[in-house]
Amino acid sequence: MSDQPLLELRNLVVSYAVWGGVFRHKVGEIRAVDDISLTLRSGETLGLVGESGCGKSTVAKTILNVVREMAPGVELGGEIRYHRERGAVNLLELRQRAMRPFRREIQMIFQDPFASLNPRQTVGQIVDAPLRIHTNQTAKERRERIRWLLERCGLQGSYIGRYPHEFSGGQRQRIGIARALAVNPKLIVADEPVSALDVSVQAQVINLMQDLQDEFGLTYLFVAHDLSVVHHIADRIAVMYLGKLVEIGEADAVYHHPKHPYSKALLSAVPQPDPNRSRAKRQLLEGEIPSPLNKPSGCVFHTRCPIAEPDCSIKVPPLEPKESGQEAACPYV
Amino acid sequence: MKTLSDAPSEPSESLLKRRLRRFRGLRRGYYSFLILVTAYLLSFGLPFVMGRQALVVHYDSQWYFPAFRSYFYNTFGIGNRGLYLAKTFEQTDAEGKRVLGQADYAALKKQFAKQDNGNFVLMPLIPFGPNQQSLDQKGNPPYPPSWQHWLGTDDRGRDILVRLAYGFRISISFALVVTGISYMVGIAVGATLGYYGRWVDMLGLRFVEIWGSIPFLYTVIILASLLPRTFGLLAGILATFGWMGITYYIRGEVYRERSKDYVAAAIAVGEGHTSIIFRHILPNSLTPVISFAPFAIVANITSLVALDFLGYGLPPPTPSWGELIGQGKENIRDWHLVVFPLVAMFLTLQLIVFIGEAVREALDPKTYSRLR
Repeated sequence: MSDQPLLELRNLVVSYAVWGGVFRHKVGEIRAVDDISLTLRSGETLGLVGESGCGKSTVAKTILNVVREMAPGVELGGEIRYHRERGAVNLLELRQRAMRPFRREIQMIFQDPFASLNPRQTVGQIVDAPLRIHTNQTAKERRERIRWLLERCGLQGSYIGRYPHEFSGGQRQRIGIARALAVNPKLIVADEPVSALDVSVQAQVINLMQDLQDEFGLTYLFVAHDLSVVHHIADRIAVMYLGKLVEIGEADAVYHHPKHPYSKALLSAVPQPDPNRSRAKRQLLEGEIPSPLNKPSGCVFHTRCPIAEPDCSIKVPPLEPKESGQEAACPYV
Repeated sequence: MKTLSDAPSEPSESLLKRRLRRFRGLRRGYYSFLILVTAYLLSFGLPFVMGRQALVVHYDSQWYFPAFRSYFYNTFGIGNRGLYLAKTFEQTDAEGKRVLGQADYAALKKQFAKQDNGNFVLMPLIPFGPNQQSLDQKGNPPYPPSWQHWLGTDDRGRDILVRLAYGFRISISFALVVTGISYMVGIAVGATLGYYGRWVDMLGLRFVEIWGSIPFLYTVIILASLLPRTFGLLAGILATFGWMGITYYIRGEVYRERSKDYVAAAIAVGEGHTSIIFRHILPNSLTPVISFAPFAIVANITSLVALDFLGYGLPPPTPSWGELIGQGKENIRDWHLVVFPLVAMFLTLQLIVFIGEAVREALDPKTYSRLR
């Protein structure tokens, strides 16, 4: 791991227009990602956590410009700076065609191993797609490479002609990893890669991802909602709430000494497998997560915050350094 | 690196193969499919079973094969005008084939039999063409079923069995062509709407709705009475007004498939629009199209019969079921004019419906919701 930045999000905003009324006019917008800035260093694993609907998957999909293709009409703001040897490029400005060379270096692993593989294609065809697009290898060379990739990801090379429906969830996720790995990317954006798997398989897939990181020097943006998983794999953790970044820092600091009241609540919700440990510290949040259509003013968390002050509903708190090393967006901790 | 041992044990099978296997397992539908396909393919050899052209003629110790090529009538040493078919040269018969003053082989057969000098004519099993009028019986046509005409004749003395058989070929061909064209248009439009979405979808759907609200039968009748009615024109008109139904299904399917993660994965990998549409979305959206196809064919056969019945269908003297039923309406006492075409239509449509049922069942992802 180095301090060399690989990917930088600068004031990233992703908002979906909400259409309604008789004439289908814009009646509102959902800021799924609201002014997020963070830096991903080359070779590290950054864990992005938050409860469902907080925008963490949107961040992942925006980096690969998938959001714009999947949801035409989405409004994007800010910058996604991808650092190469010859300087940085803003990925947000690139259209599908111009984006292509960067897709070779940034790949994605998806959450749902059942939906993310085309049921009509064989494993070979699925893993072949990036090779076909990004390399000039002959069919035979690609075939060799696919077999090697499958074996490297813990599958048999002979599975090349099989269809996704013949595999279990964990095996499918390995196929997804093989696809992401096919063209030797630098950065892999993993959008909740283990959330859909059961716990024993989660461990296998996580270990595989760590092995691959060591072997190929990969950088991961690891999106998840399971804090213990993220703590296990990530070097740093970023916590999101309602499209905002509320805390970011070294994994141990955020996991063991969370500063932001939301991070504290999130962490106290992690199930403790040890029944003898005290539960006195558990801190539960009240109320529902507010609608992203109608976000609270000021600090988005103030409606549920146990330590909220009157001016929390007025001022948007910036991320500021705290003593245990991380940054948190709360002035009162 | 250890390899997982819980490998799928049975040999690999694509979804399509699995569905084909399931379809073959549904006996009623599968056999209906075999019967119908065989019947349709055989119907292209109909002139060898039902026709007025002799299969083989043996004359002056030479062999002739009039079913395969035309011979001038005086090849067989006959000058009698009653023995040849066409009064002038280069005349064409109803099927568009040139008749170069051919011999009337049925009459020739009788003559050879009378002369009894080693010449003979081998006629098809049923020696009548679809447009051949047999007026040699007592009384006026339509003649009831007899040994000569198994299902009787229509009001112009044409053999009903032969016309039903030729009508089968035309009906199926027509329905296949119409279904094919309307599906291609429907799939293209539906996929475009579903894939591009937004205002394309909004405007496109309104257009489809307006287009779909044009009363189909009246338009067809008006157009068919203004323009020369040919097979191509009628098929074109029916397809023009028949593609909307499938558009909605395809649009919905594409819309749904488009938002799935494997499409996101294809985008993330860098595939282009064409590749995404043709490699990823369409193969996964065609299920409703395939299961609707047999029923669309049924509907199109029925439309052709209805148009023919009303007299706005294929131009006479094309052999047609609807036209026969129409004759039955005018000759209400001749039951065979109505019963046989209806039975033919019923059997054909029933076979296709069996096929459709089996296709639907084979494509059903839920194994336990089957009709049984």
